[in-house]
Amino acid sequence: MSELLRVENVHALADDKQILNGLNLEIKKGETHVIMGPNGAGKSTLDSVIMGNPQYKVTEGKVFFEGEDITALKADARARKGIFLSFQTPEEVPGVTLEDFLRVCRRNMTGQPLKVFAFRKELKALMDDLDMDPSYASRYLNVGFSGGEKKKSEILQMLVLQPKLAMLDETDSGLDVDAVRVVSKGIKKFKNEDNSLLIITHNARILENLDIDKVHILYNGRIIKTAGPELIEEVNTNGFANIIGKED
Amino acid sequence: MNKNTGLSVNHLPVLTWNHIGINEAQFPETELAEVEFDACYEKSGFGKEIAEIFDNIETGMGAEAVAFTMNHCTNPIFIRVKEGEKKVIEPLKYTFADGAKVCDVTYILAEKNSEVSVFQSYISEDDTASYHAGLTKIVALEGAKVTLIQTQLLNDSSLHSNDLGIKIEDSAKVELVQAELGAKMDYVGCMALLSGYCAEFAADTIYYGDEKRKTDLNFIARHTGKKTVSNMKAKGALFGETDKVYRGTIDFINGCKKAKGDESEETLIFSDKARNRTIPLILCDEEDVVGNHAATIGRINENRMFYLMSRGLSENEVKELVVRASYESVLSRITDEEIRSKVDSYLERRMIIE
Amino acid sequence: MASSKDKVSEVNQSIYDFRYAENASYKTDSGLTEDIVRQISKEKHDPDWMLDFRLKSLEIYNSMTIPEWGPPIDGLHMEDIVTYIKPNTDMKGKWDEVPDDIKDTFEKLGIPQAERESLAGVGAQYDSEVVYHNVKKEVEEQGVIYTDMESALTGEYSDIVKEHFMKLVPPTDHKFAALHGAVWSGGSFVYVPAGVHVDIPLQSYFRLNAAGAGQFEHTLIVVEPGAYLHFIEGCSAPKYNVANLHAGCVELFVGDGARLRYSTIENWSKNMYNLNTKRATVGKDGIMEWVSGSFGSHTSYLYPMTILKGDNSKMEFTGITFAGKGQQLDTGDKVVHIGKNTSSHISTKSISKDGGECVYRGEVIITENAANSRSSVNCDSLMLDSISRSDTIPAMDIRNATSDVGHEAKIGRISDEAVFYLMSRGMSEEDAKSMIVSGFAEPVAKELPLEYAVEMNNLIKLEMDTRD
Repeated sequence: MSELLRVENVHALADDKQILNGLNLEIKKGETHVIMGPNGAGKSTLDSVIMGNPQYKVTEGKVFFEGEDITALKADARARKGIFLSFQTPEEVPGVTLEDFLRVCRRNMTGQPLKVFAFRKELKALMDDLDMDPSYASRYLNVGFSGGEKKKSEILQMLVLQPKLAMLDETDSGLDVDAVRVVSKGIKKFKNEDNSLLIITHNARILENLDIDKVHILYNGRIIKTAGPELIEEVNTNGFANIIGKED
Repeated sequence: MNKNTGLSVNHLPVLTWNHIGINEAQFPETELAEVEFDACYEKSGFGKEIAEIFDNIETGMGAEAVAFTMNHCTNPIFIRVKEGEKKVIEPLKYTFADGAKVCDVTYILAEKNSEVSVFQSYISEDDTASYHAGLTKIVALEGAKVTLIQTQLLNDSSLHSNDLGIKIEDSAKVELVQAELGAKMDYVGCMALLSGYCAEFAADTIYYGDEKRKTDLNFIARHTGKKTVSNMKAKGALFGETDKVYRGTIDFINGCKKAKGDESEETLIFSDKARNRTIPLILCDEEDVVGNHAATIGRINENRMFYLMSRGLSENEVKELVVRASYESVLSRITDEEIRSKVDSYLERRMIIE
Repeated sequence: MASSKDKVSEVNQSIYDFRYAENASYKTDSGLTEDIVRQISKEKHDPDWMLDFRLKSLEIYNSMTIPEWGPPIDGLHMEDIVTYIKPNTDMKGKWDEVPDDIKDTFEKLGIPQAERESLAGVGAQYDSEVVYHNVKKEVEEQGVIYTDMESALTGEYSDIVKEHFMKLVPPTDHKFAALHGAVWSGGSFVYVPAGVHVDIPLQSYFRLNAAGAGQFEHTLIVVEPGAYLHFIEGCSAPKYNVANLHAGCVELFVGDGARLRYSTIENWSKNMYNLNTKRATVGKDGIMEWVSGSFGSHTSYLYPMTILKGDNSKMEFTGITFAGKGQQLDTGDKVVHIGKNTSSHISTKSISKDGGECVYRGEVIITENAANSRSSVNCDSLMLDSISRSDTIPAMDIRNATSDVGHEAKIGRISDEAVFYLMSRGMSEEDAKSMIVSGFAEPVAKELPLEYAVEMNNLIKLEMDTRD
């Protein structure tokens, strides 16, 4: 089937506050979708709900992945089905090195034991592609990493885990021009005709080199407009006011 | 209670090794006329229900001290702020001369959504040995805000005990600001019970020890309500042969989900004959909390010393600057000019950094 | 040498915690009589001075009371214990009587059968004797003495032993130090001559044997000036004993410019009362390092103490305590700064789970003459649920104006965000929590030799398993 993700009429609460108000979204295999919207609209909530963050409660609606209802599944089960979230502020986990962590993750996903040296070689190659200092492999996961390095660490994890759907939450914020270029390259390297991307972003830099299929505007917890890549330019030029104005 | 050793006060909420000598302290009693406290109470107009709440409040110094102060109360004061009212109470200034003995009991009731500011000062006017035992109980009902500022400048032969018991209900806040700078024996105990949802307690205490004086402090923030927040700070400087004990306890009781407790102590020691004992406790029975305490004791941080000296200050000038800076958060709250100038001259006269 | 001993005894009075019973007419409890002590001494062929020492210790034991701070030890059945102390008693238990969960743990940790019997106090000495002998030979060439305490008492090193035995931890220290003084048995004596660097870590594990199974063992280590030793005590496997008291004593003498690292993983079985006393004294420019993992026992009182006697001496302590169901672990450390320019650095972690209770109890004393000293203490506590307890009771006593003392403590729970993050990478909730807890314990694990670190991590994983 070509349908990968289907979010059907989802209403969700965060801290007893209603954030998503009947959100609908469909992503097919191989597609790249972009979500934009004013702050507080619910973009990160959407990502969290798809990933299964227990702090967000779905009060109505369902989430389907490859046709299967995953609304009740826990985050790890969803990860093993091939959903990935690149966090906006990744957690620091002291005591666990980046390399050890990635090895455990890869092993979880494939169910196969891993050859230490082969993996290390693969990891080094990936880190080189992302212009990441190889010493980061033996540093504790995200501890003391700068904002930019944390984002690269997320993309590195994505490349190691090879998900079917990768959700990138403001992956370009905090990165300098060179870093954006490198991360953008990494994302392009990941993308093929079978996997899909859901990108939340404020500006278009990260989207260079990517073929965008659909662009959605999220406002007040719902998607109020969907169009093609030209919508990005329109928002960047005129802002959200016009689009939202029609909605109110 | 042993007549020879005095009142047993300032108990550490859990015992530790006896040899450290801080499981409790002793404060002397004195000869004073006995009093029926209930009789004073009737005049307060607080009513039986409120009276019971006050009676059940535990204090930092403990039951023996409370009993003594109430049974020999010379100055009963009842402050009641009605719902929604905002009041700044006329400063309660106690002066000590001719060997005066004062046991003041101050009950402050802040009703729903009220705001009240209370100022107490205890100052010696001569060199005679005075005795002060103070008891202050505060009940802050829903949404109330209480600020209590206390200043103590008794002379070197006087005894001073300052006991506090506080109950804070839903969304209420109590702030305690204390300058405990004098007295031969400067004993302070404070227990704040954060029982209400989102109750808040903040304490900022400065102390000063020199000669052979003794300072003994016992602060407890007991969290029983959810999302309660406490922040207790103590800062001071020690000179001469002074002996100082600080006990700070954050007590998370099972059920106080999402509570947050912070405690910090900063002590600068300027004499090799001074003695400092600090016991910052965290007791925890509840998983969903965050507790932090930090203590820095001893000499001024080397980097700070270097930085300030590189701006042209001598070592002694730096020391004085740093002590003053640490006292500032409390001293700046003493808005009464008369009292503030007394504090300033006291410090200027006594705090000689060599 | 005489003057330094005086200094220690001078500190004795103010730092050792004891209480004498107020009433002289009390009943000698539990049948631990002078006769029994004499018998023990005879069986061991003690020199005369040791017999006297034991008898004096018994007197002190009978006159002291149990501390009133700390977790209760009512479950201690001294009568049973006395039976096991008596010489000529068959101290071996029966394998059938060893609790199932102990056997389970052996299984999960992959302990070989012969070792299991020894650890459970039911078997004879096992193969490690051979390993022990090999190690012994190797270090002997360097002039290192590594032998059991009993032989050390009468051999060529008896003078060194007599000079040091229970001088650092006198029987007057507390009731169970006195008990130890009266009935001690077994343990290691290590002597490292000046300037010798012992490459391989010596392990007390090699010396485990069935008789008494290490209950009252005495470890005495003397590291002469400029020497280096790493000594490892215990192991991650649970040690089971019907007679449920461990009142051991460890005395460490670190000479000028010497360095001693003392690592321990303790996993006494959950019926045990672990009332252990460990103390080190450090000479000028000397370094003492403690690495400590406390996992087992029903109730523990454990506060390794360091006396920084010599100028410039240093101490580092890294420890972790994990209290699970039914456990009350009261652990911590003590340090006394006596010399100038001394420094102590303490980092402890504690984890409480399933109703377990952890108490960190610490003490830093900076005496008047310890000018320019530094001490930093860092306590981190993790609560894994709301039925457990975690208390932090640190004390600092500073008596001079030129020192720098810092203390930080934190308590909290595993962050939901961190768990979600790890789960979003495919890890199950249990594995995610386990990984976070292992990460929490990592600073201790990395101080241990690899096999021990692996063992410790396995222990943690076992403890994190949701089971009843």
